[in-house]
Amino acid sequence: MASSGGKDSSSPIDSNGRVGREHSNPEAISALYEDLFENDNSERPCYLPDSGQEDYSGDGDGVGDGDEDGNSPREIVQKGRGDSVVEEKGELNAANGASPEASATQMNNDSRESGSDVGTLPEDLDARSSTGNEDEIQEKDHEFNFRDRVRAESSSTERLVHLDGEMSSDRGLDGPPSPTSSQGGTSGYMAGSGSSSASTSSVSGVEIGTDQDTEGIGSRKEERGVWVPGKRHSQEDDSHPSWRRHKKHFFILSNAGKPIYSRYGDEHKLAGFSATLQAIMSFVENSGDTIHLVRAGDHQIIFLVRGPLYLVCISSTDEPFQVLKGQLELLHGQLLLILTKAVEKCFLKNSKFDMRPLLGGTDVVFSSLIHAFSWDPATFLSAYSCLPLPYVTRQAACGALQDMTDSGVLFALLMCGTKVISLVGPRKASLHPHDLLLLSNFILSSDSFRTSESFSPVCLPRYNATAFMYAYVQYLNKDTCLILLTGDPNDFFHLKECRAQIEIALRESDVLREVNNSISRGGLRIEDLPDSEDLVPPEGVSSREDRSSGDGASTSAFNSVPGAGGAAGLWHFIYRSTYLDQFVASEFSPPLNTRSAQKRLYRAFQKLHASMHDTEASGPHKMQYRRDENHVLLSWRNSDFELYAAFDPLAEKSSAIFVCNRICQWIRDVECEIFLLGATPFNW
Amino acid sequence: MGCAASAPARQGRLAGMNQDAVETFDSKNLRIKLVLLGDSGVGKSCIVLQFVRGQFDPSSKVTVGASFLSQTVALKDSTTVKFEIWDTAGQERYASLAPLYYRGASAAVVVYDITSPDSFQKAQFWVKELQKHGSPGIVMALVGNKADLEESREVASEDSQAYAESNGMFFIETSAKLATNVNLLFEEIGQRLPRGQPTQKP
Repeated sequence: MASSGGKDSSSPIDSNGRVGREHSNPEAISALYEDLFENDNSERPCYLPDSGQEDYSGDGDGVGDGDEDGNSPREIVQKGRGDSVVEEKGELNAANGASPEASATQMNNDSRESGSDVGTLPEDLDARSSTGNEDEIQEKDHEFNFRDRVRAESSSTERLVHLDGEMSSDRGLDGPPSPTSSQGGTSGYMAGSGSSSASTSSVSGVEIGTDQDTEGIGSRKEERGVWVPGKRHSQEDDSHPSWRRHKKHFFILSNAGKPIYSRYGDEHKLAGFSATLQAIMSFVENSGDTIHLVRAGDHQIIFLVRGPLYLVCISSTDEPFQVLKGQLELLHGQLLLILTKAVEKCFLKNSKFDMRPLLGGTDVVFSSLIHAFSWDPATFLSAYSCLPLPYVTRQAACGALQDMTDSGVLFALLMCGTKVISLVGPRKASLHPHDLLLLSNFILSSDSFRTSESFSPVCLPRYNATAFMYAYVQYLNKDTCLILLTGDPNDFFHLKECRAQIEIALRESDVLREVNNSISRGGLRIEDLPDSEDLVPPEGVSSREDRSSGDGASTSAFNSVPGAGGAAGLWHFIYRSTYLDQFVASEFSPPLNTRSAQKRLYRAFQKLHASMHDTEASGPHKMQYRRDENHVLLSWRNSDFELYAAFDPLAEKSSAIFVCNRICQWIRDVECEIFLLGATPFNW
Repeated sequence: MGCAASAPARQGRLAGMNQDAVETFDSKNLRIKLVLLGDSGVGKSCIVLQFVRGQFDPSSKVTVGASFLSQTVALKDSTTVKFEIWDTAGQERYASLAPLYYRGASAAVVVYDITSPDSFQKAQFWVKELQKHGSPGIVMALVGNKADLEESREVASEDSQAYAESNGMFFIETSAKLATNVNLLFEEIGQRLPRGQPTQKP
């Protein structure tokens, strides 16, 4: 998982703190580490070596110990392919061992059946859902209560979580999450994997569902009002208990240990803490290796080395390693956008160079990016989203911008918030979705752009990380922002002239009015899914409601009424077009109307996305169907698109698949309105 | 200033951005380029916004790169001056870009915060920089902003006055918050601009 090397390298983890790396000194790392966090003594840190110099996978004892002790199920995912069979057993043991608390039973794990789902085309799925399977289950619904239904379904070759009251009450605990409470995450799921064997495919399923509620203090504040960028708790340092309780820390430091950025607290006061992080990293580097990840109880510490800069994330949010690493890379990209890679030269001249002054006033940019990590799917999908607009309107906007790029403007970009209205660039180059994300975050988080027209150096790290470009930025109205990029620092008056012409063209073709209409209309809503009435027979809906009322509130993780939402219990979906590098997400509608429910779903999608793309633990997946206490999640990936859909936890699998097909059809029908077509060279 | 702009910023191509030092349509209508320089947080943007829009926004908005605004002022001698104002960001990383904005400018306003001696030091740095690399004959003003915070004053106006006189600048204290002396500052600059003949470009 953490290894960038090709060979299997697995985590030498066990809960007794044994680190399976003989020549290193685990005590030394422990000693360093215990200064940083107060931890349960039974959970010692461990780390993953960079390369596959040694093969740890044979350490069967460690695996067994960990699982018998009810070790956090996440760790299983760490292990390489070599010992997957052992883990499979271990995982089931762990799940059963934990069942008094979590009551997660997994039955009849026939992944070969799920394997047959791999690569099925929409037609196959239609066929499948219209076979006896659906009818059979629906008949049973009428006869059995919920608990029976789960067994009945699981006997039809699906692994399911057995939900009951204890589990949801466990989730509701508000205290700091402990290793044991996270065992509720042993969820049932069914995965199809194109390349891996049946036994390995079940391993990655363990990760989902442990979603403890989110980022504590910060998110509770957020629920009350609009989020404002900027540094929080800036007076704190590592000696404050409240500082240690923040769920997700981000740090940037130099390889000499000088603090550059910290999400919480005052960087200057955190100098000692930064030095400690630096000591851990250089300790491993001295042995010719690179540290990627330390797990300690509920905390993951992710390290990223980029030239002379160290980036560290300390998180107890239970997001997958790949996701957190991607976030560190984006954080580094944001830094490059502000300063370019040229800043690295300063460290060559003087290794003790203090970079803080160069980043003056950029706290809002970083904090807003970190906020987006929890709310904007663009951060993990590597795609951007467009404002829905009538096709002719977007064509008119593209036309207005295209005229300008012929006159020396490199990229012309019209945006509304984080959503793209139109984007025009040189024929041979396209704007990487990450560059777009970082640029829009930079512009949106800096209020000064709203007050007057501005001209600012920016660097697009994926386009050219070593040089500045110059961005002309002007808001055409409250939400709509025009960005013109050029390589010439003296081009301001030319760009100003371009802006005037573009503005005239946009007003003439009524683009700005359509933009306002679109903002007030909002995006795709699950209630609007075409033909939704035909999808689920009325009795299907009523039977679901009967069940939930019969079982009482304990079966529902949410306080809202189950059964609300779209067809077949559809709650939300994200569709990513592979060729366009664009995605569309449905608007949040009930029952996803609390911030915490939205964030929980967002995190679940993050995990689902990570496991779909995981190339190490169990190979990339084509399709997954998972059920946990909060949602039914279905994801489907082929060469054209990726679809992630969330349903009511009691939704039927067959009707969920059916609805997913309707979504894909719907997206194809409205494609020219929700996507910017013809923006990338990949599209023809 | 370790973080340099990319090379083109320094190659001194004076096209586009510097087409106009003092461009006189006629002797009664001037169009001039004015640049604001100074440490971050001294209130450059607030002065400009007070001058251009008559607004004061107490929430601090850090300027990114540089903002461009323009405002026309009618002077007592019935000349009109159109100020094209470059409001630069005070952060260190943008310092290397400053020549882009002050090159060819016929007026420069160097701002400091009367409650911050450091910002006064920084202002002196900018004055020296302008004397070395600015247009000859550039009209320079030294502005002590945040005059409403008299109780926390740390830079004596006598010191600033003396420094301004020894460097051929005029000195004024303003309060962008209360709009004190803001218009006066720009009118005074307008008065001091050379009339009748365009200034020589370097």
